[in-house]
Amino acid sequence: MRVTRRNFLKTAATLGAAATIDLYKPDLLEVFAQAKDYWHIAWLNGATCTGCPISLAQAADPDLLQILTSITVGDSGLPIALPDYMQVLHPASGKLAGEFYEDVWKKTTTKRKILVVEGAVQDPGYCTIAIKGVEKDFRDWLADAATIADYIIALGSCASFGGIPHAKGNVTGAKGVAAFLKEKEINKPVINLPRCPGHPDSLVLTLASVIIGVIPELDSYGRPTVFYGMNMHDGRCPYRPYYDRGVFIQKVGQFPAEPGEEGCRYKIGCKGPVAFTDCALRKWNNHVSYCVEVGAPCIACSEAAFPDGDTAPFYQELPSLPMVLGLPAETWGQALVAVSAIGCAAHFVKRVAKKKEVK
Amino acid sequence: MPKFSIDPITRIEGHMGVELDINSNVLSTAPKEYFVTKALAKVHMFRGFELFLKGRDPRDAMLITQRICGVCPNPHGMASVQALDDAFGAEPTPAAILTRNIIEAAYYTYDHPIHFYLLIGPELGIIGAHPPMVPPALGVEGIKTLGLGASYAKCIEAQRWACEVVALWGGKFPHIQSIYPGGVTVKPTLDKIASSIVRMVSVWEFVALTMMEDLYAILAADERLKEVTKAVLGAKVGLEDIGVCTGNFLSYGIFPDHTDYADWLDPSKRKKALIRSGAWSDGAFVTFDERKIREDVKYSYYDSPSGLHPSEGETSPKKDKPGAYTWSKAPRYDDKVYEVGPLARMINTFGTTWKVDRIHPTTGTDYGPVKYTLRNPKGSILDRVAARAFMALLCANNVFKWLLELKGYLDKPIVNYKDVPREAKGRGLWEAPRGALGHWITIKEGKIARYQCVVPGTWNWSPRDDKDRPGPEKLH
Repeated sequence: MRVTRRNFLKTAATLGAAATIDLYKPDLLEVFAQAKDYWHIAWLNGATCTGCPISLAQAADPDLLQILTSITVGDSGLPIALPDYMQVLHPASGKLAGEFYEDVWKKTTTKRKILVVEGAVQDPGYCTIAIKGVEKDFRDWLADAATIADYIIALGSCASFGGIPHAKGNVTGAKGVAAFLKEKEINKPVINLPRCPGHPDSLVLTLASVIIGVIPELDSYGRPTVFYGMNMHDGRCPYRPYYDRGVFIQKVGQFPAEPGEEGCRYKIGCKGPVAFTDCALRKWNNHVSYCVEVGAPCIACSEAAFPDGDTAPFYQELPSLPMVLGLPAETWGQALVAVSAIGCAAHFVKRVAKKKEVK
Repeated sequence: MPKFSIDPITRIEGHMGVELDINSNVLSTAPKEYFVTKALAKVHMFRGFELFLKGRDPRDAMLITQRICGVCPNPHGMASVQALDDAFGAEPTPAAILTRNIIEAAYYTYDHPIHFYLLIGPELGIIGAHPPMVPPALGVEGIKTLGLGASYAKCIEAQRWACEVVALWGGKFPHIQSIYPGGVTVKPTLDKIASSIVRMVSVWEFVALTMMEDLYAILAADERLKEVTKAVLGAKVGLEDIGVCTGNFLSYGIFPDHTDYADWLDPSKRKKALIRSGAWSDGAFVTFDERKIREDVKYSYYDSPSGLHPSEGETSPKKDKPGAYTWSKAPRYDDKVYEVGPLARMINTFGTTWKVDRIHPTTGTDYGPVKYTLRNPKGSILDRVAARAFMALLCANNVFKWLLELKGYLDKPIVNYKDVPREAKGRGLWEAPRGALGHWITIKEGKIARYQCVVPGTWNWSPRDDKDRPGPEKLH
């Protein structure tokens, strides 16, 4: 293909962070190789911090580079899911960026239009965007795009439930996409992928699911159960044994000397007991770590009430310690330590007795 | 006079547009020449952090304010935790100072390359006809055969490794979790140090070799550009002639010396920090004085008073205020228009000539230092781009120094723990990649009573102030 300045700019302008698949790369690559039809993605951002696309850029296996260059649709040679419009990465500015939204995404007639939304939706006047020379409130662009989208994904806590901008005391009326669409009587389901920022795996895998025709099972908050179906404290936490034995970090930064120089983060405010997500399993940034691992409390950013409700204040312990078999964990902890001590003592006595015998 | 608007400005965080008044009637010999006579920078989004932080546990601020920006959450966290250190009377431990430096330096080696390649890169690649910096429009083949997007692609990889290092110490990126008043929550361990070094070696190679090579290619392209403009316009116009400001450069400093924190705690000193504070003006260094900061709101959507120091700042939004055109306030220093950012940092620390070594952190190979002399005393695109690359290299060099230092603190305290005070005030002054960043907190009855942030974007993209003087970006 001869690269002229004009077609180069147009092509360059279509690029942005895309998301695609890959938990089971060989299988999915095979499926995509046969996919004849192209998926159109528009990515709109409202009251956002841009953490969600930056988080997407941290995707690994596949990483963003592979997504942008290696995984292609059928014979088209084009990357699998190329956003037609995405403000944060578009080489084009101003009107040219808008052309891709108005002339490509909106005019596509296939049933393969995915709208990804990042950022909260606010009352009129707090977030305006110009697309192709027309300045409108983000909420109006969103309503417009949602009406024609085939699938809607709300990435991050802001787009899912309002997130940080909807904190108590906010004056902008911030809310999530689903709540906004309900208000406007736009009857479309929204897949919510909360966390703050959104986790790249959750977006990549959800897009992959949608593209291959598998709509994920959602919980009552619209979140895929595959990521959000298990409680962090009950089902995921690697520090749970410390909780069960009553060994806690009493003050931030002061780790118990024994037994493993670690401790449950409950007393420094961990909201694991009210968090339904898989951070402890999946971790972040190519599985290197996650919030709790660095000695900090979980702040349950996956939950609708975040940053309020049960999740606040972040460093204050949850008011009621969940019970284990009708007794608070601290009691269990003390009891088990006592039992252990007796057990150890008994073992010691036995050993000493044995030695005496041998002699 | 015709108006022309570029909206949205893409490749930024948030929502912005620029409205320009154009005068096309200047050079009759040059075809289609347009000159901007007036520019309005409009920030289109308001969320209201300074409002919804009120009434909260002060410690919530260090996590919530990171969500002001998901590209630069770390500096917000650092400015916030330092405001809390100040308010709590909790000076961070040496181990914590080193850990915070490591988290932040690794973060800079993601942020500056992202800006250099993904945000401003496409323009530089196109203007400079330098294929490695253009987005990889032709995919893998294009990278292989034309080098089209080769560096852009490498950047995507390298930034991810840098962020893994941030996550090793911060829990995750974006939005770290391991800062706390008086220190950090994360224990230093040999395996974290080793894992960091392994990743940072690759990042260092990218910054010191690839990014510097691309910088020199842009400098060379600039020379060619000037030949072209000389032929067409009769005058040499290069990237060092575009983006000229006031020549006033403000820096708060960053990366304190863990053995002399007292130097850091006085923002007018900060001489031992890797990057100094300063208010360079008229070609000479000026000592920074935090009291000289104020914010005007004449053209901003607020009916709170104008001209307040942020420690007394107020935020009452008024979206239909007549005459206003932006959500950004207009910060001013010493009643002058100041620029903040990579160039301000380099000038206040090193003056007009810079030299940074390139010695491989593990092999010891010396690739020769990089040197640069400021082209335009009032700043320019070229000078800022160079400053960004030099800062990235400084950070890449020093993260190894701090990682190895931290080995000596494995059993030392990581938090100088203090309870939440009932009544207190504090401030944190730091440098985000975009420039000088300050957070100011007032605590009453153990809760946040006031929280004000003055962020670098508002210095550089500020609207006209109460005296109708435009901000830096509009002087170009």
